[in-house]
Amino acid sequence: MTQYRTVRLPEDLCAQTEKWLAGRFDDLESFLSFLLQELARDDGSKLDQAEEQLVEQRLRELGYI
Amino acid sequence: MRKRSLVLVTVDCLRADHVGFLGYKRQVTPFLDSLAEDSAVFTQAIVAGAPTYFSFPAIMASRYALSLGRDMLGIAPNEPTLATALRESGYQTAAFLAGNPYLTRRFGYRQGFDQFHDFLGAALPGERQAPIVHADKRPSGLNRRLQAASRRARLTAAAYDELYFWYCQWRSTCENLSMDELRRYPAADVIVGQACSWLGQLGDQPFFLWLHLMDPHHPYYPPQAALSSLGVLDISARRARFLNSFWDRGDIGSRRLQRLRAEILLLYDAGVYWVDKQISRLADSLRVGQRWDETVFVVTADHGEEFLEHDARYHFPESLPEQLIRVPLLVRAPGVTGVRISKQPFSLIHLAPTLLEVLDVAVPETFQGQSRWKQIVAADLPSEPAIVESIEACNNPFRLEDRIRPRLLAIRDRECKLVIHFSDETSCLYDLENDPGERSALPIGARTRERVRLLQAARMHLKKTNHNRNAELILRARVDELRQTIEMRRPAATTSPVLT
Repeated sequence: MTQYRTVRLPEDLCAQTEKWLAGRFDDLESFLSFLLQELARDDGSKLDQAEEQLVEQRLRELGYI
Repeated sequence: MRKRSLVLVTVDCLRADHVGFLGYKRQVTPFLDSLAEDSAVFTQAIVAGAPTYFSFPAIMASRYALSLGRDMLGIAPNEPTLATALRESGYQTAAFLAGNPYLTRRFGYRQGFDQFHDFLGAALPGERQAPIVHADKRPSGLNRRLQAASRRARLTAAAYDELYFWYCQWRSTCENLSMDELRRYPAADVIVGQACSWLGQLGDQPFFLWLHLMDPHHPYYPPQAALSSLGVLDISARRARFLNSFWDRGDIGSRRLQRLRAEILLLYDAGVYWVDKQISRLADSLRVGQRWDETVFVVTADHGEEFLEHDARYHFPESLPEQLIRVPLLVRAPGVTGVRISKQPFSLIHLAPTLLEVLDVAVPETFQGQSRWKQIVAADLPSEPAIVESIEACNNPFRLEDRIRPRLLAIRDRECKLVIHFSDETSCLYDLENDPGERSALPIGARTRERVRLLQAARMHLKKTNHNRNAELILRARVDELRQTIEMRRPAATTSPVLT
């Protein structure tokens, strides 16, 4: 089950953001959840890691690591 | 003494082996050939990424395109660039870019420019607005049904494709459009005209002017005057339209395409000729304004173009052959004449810091390249491989899923080139001295010392760019991208916060 956390934000910032969102999200919480998910995503890091490993493996096969 | 100014001309798709000063036999670049005599000429200039969207972060911000993560495109908000460094040093700055959708304010290229025109919006005064014409229209409902039915067998599918292509050609003969109407981008004369007007209004301040010209980019519709100047009188606009449509076919093999290659090359070369002619006009304008002597004048390209040398066309990142990664580069700077940097590769990652040193402007700390100016003047570049990176088969970078794919990496030194396809974990080593056309990769076990050297350079590059990422720039880029994505959403269109 998802645990939730309460975050405190200035009221005027929330109001300003809601105005900017102009109905693009259901509410401020769904917008902030979306924003944090997007900022935290790290789609490429597994590929980066695999690519480094492949080069190292090739060097190992050639006896240079 | 007045401070030096800078003109940077980047030409989309310009191959190194299609300019006279690097040995091309057809006389398409008379002005650049003469300019090369007074310049530092690099015979082995190598882009840091290909195509445009993976090349320009290196040219403008001296940063490998994937070093902020492969989901980032372009320049990050507030990222230091050649333009921002010069504007902060008191330069007036302007960019006139011939409608490349990846060189826009959306991708951060606006930063640092007082004037920025990407020719993607409303026409500027004096700009010719050619209608964008699509050669082939979408199939009708009947055609779609016929096409679906034809797909049941290979032979009927091929027959349908053939008949449909010729049907489209027959239909297009009804429209009598000129080359100017068929062209998708503003031609170099429009871009240079705008740049000359801007130069004419300048005061005494030093300036940075960036022009990006698209004439050699497909579809190939050069001005008719350029074809005539090359003595080509038998390619009409109608013929050019047919050639481009045929060249674009995905349903036929390279043997059939080869038959039209010579004519396609004429169209491409005419585009290069037009670029040369307009650059000459720009130089004349600088001379008339008495700014030529103090101006550092640079001409290069973001990548090359393929014409079936390895069965491929255009510049899709499916491999990184020399036709794609080796570009012309000449730097004309006061006090430097006739320097020829041959054999040693020069990565365009070093171009921006080198130019800043020539102009005596501090190099931003975020730049990954280093100035090579002293070594260039001494015609003695350090021996280091050039790295080229791309995402394999990323043909539509606007789609995130196209960007989150395995990398394609080339490590190229003066003798050999290693191309690593991470998608299928293969690598090809080429002996460029004995096989400059990259006809056959060396067998595993051959040239082990070179293979190891290039693999070590690849390892260093990946470590450096993956582990020393600039977190602040990444955050800014992501926030900016999200802001643009959210602003594009229609209000209250959906309750789901998931964006594609």
